[in-house]
Amino acid sequence: MTSLLAASALLKMFYSSLLAGVGVSAVFSAAVYGAIRSSDMRRAGRGGAAVAYAALAAAGLLLSAAAIVYGLVLVAHKS
Amino acid sequence: MSGDIILVIVVGTALAFDFTNGFHDTANVVATSISTRATSPASAVAVASLLNFAGAFISLKVAATVGKGFVSSHAITTTVVFAGLVGAISWNLITWYLGLPSSSSHALIGGLVGSAIAAQGFDAVNGHGLLSKLIVPAIVAPLVAFSAAGISILLAYRIVGKLRPGPVSRGFRLGELASGGLLALSHGTNDAQKTMGVITLALIANGSIPAEGFHVPDWVVISAASAIALGTFTGGWRIIRTMGTRIIDMDPAQGFAAQGAGATVILAASSVGYPLSTTHVISGGIMGAGAAKRFSAVRWGVAGDIVTAWVLTLPAAGIFAAVVYGISRLFGTGAVGPLVVTIAMMAGLALLFARRIQEAAPAPSAQ
Repeated sequence: MTSLLAASALLKMFYSSLLAGVGVSAVFSAAVYGAIRSSDMRRAGRGGAAVAYAALAAAGLLLSAAAIVYGLVLVAHKS
Repeated sequence: MSGDIILVIVVGTALAFDFTNGFHDTANVVATSISTRATSPASAVAVASLLNFAGAFISLKVAATVGKGFVSSHAITTTVVFAGLVGAISWNLITWYLGLPSSSSHALIGGLVGSAIAAQGFDAVNGHGLLSKLIVPAIVAPLVAFSAAGISILLAYRIVGKLRPGPVSRGFRLGELASGGLLALSHGTNDAQKTMGVITLALIANGSIPAEGFHVPDWVVISAASAIALGTFTGGWRIIRTMGTRIIDMDPAQGFAAQGAGATVILAASSVGYPLSTTHVISGGIMGAGAAKRFSAVRWGVAGDIVTAWVLTLPAAGIFAAVVYGISRLFGTGAVGPLVVTIAMMAGLALLFARRIQEAAPAPSAQ
């Protein structure tokens, strides 16, 4: 029973950190991509595309921040 | 009375250990941000110390694991805890002097186990707890950080790879401010708790608080948080250099991936009560971020030195602690032994720092 609990905790650490680490990184990369493309489009005079890329950047930033806050709340709540 | 004197020495020594832990581990937290120029060294260290302090209040699960998980309660006396701490501090200072990023956490647990064995024999050690809560996570966690950082950087390069490098670097430098902050917070969460666990263990051994429920008093939480934050603020520049540039030369995206992977692994481990080594985890993240870009970019020789220091940490700290326990007991079971060891340790520290200052001073110019 103790071994099962230990394995379950280890598995939880494994998948939650892998998912969170890769997920936040991917979403933040999308935000960087959106911000740079938005700036490029604005300079090229393509207002509509600039707004769409800016929205991608904002969504990426918001999602990254939300994932971090959610993670911290989970750690604090379970301890 | 004698028990109370030893307790005061143990609490002082534990807080000194916590200080050296912060001092030693500053590098883990700030090296990537500094080496990729995301932030200046002074502000990185100042922010990290504040977040270390805050992180110490997030969770207490690791403290309970350190207090209950590795050494059986009948073996614990205040002298055993004292000897374990001195063994850990000694090993921390030796690896700091040599510039090796070994694990303060494993030094602490190795020290406790070594002094408990010296006091009560091998029956004092909870082998299953040591294996399932320390050794297996110690192997798995850096590998997870390595994989997470590797996958993250591959994804990041795929997403932003065709864009101009200047704005991409600026974007990830901003991201590093957040990932570095999260890493500092997670470091405080996991590492400060180890000292809380040890002080609580000493309080229980002295009969100052009941053993049932393993409750960490508030003053212990606040003092451990303050000591680690102060240690982080003081910093360990020799190790920062090793972590920041000697393993790989990083770009900001790699720094972000390494810090993000390290922080998530440490936070996930804290939530299940594993006392991880932040040094192991962030080194794994840095190597993963480097190897995913180009395998040969990682200076595997330096990585090998770090692994050697890791492997040596548990037994070396254990042996130091066992010797300290033996010396303390030469003076009987009272407070004289710990007092003599403390005075000798202070004298040794003064000598070490004097030598370090002498080495750092510029040579006089020729006339």
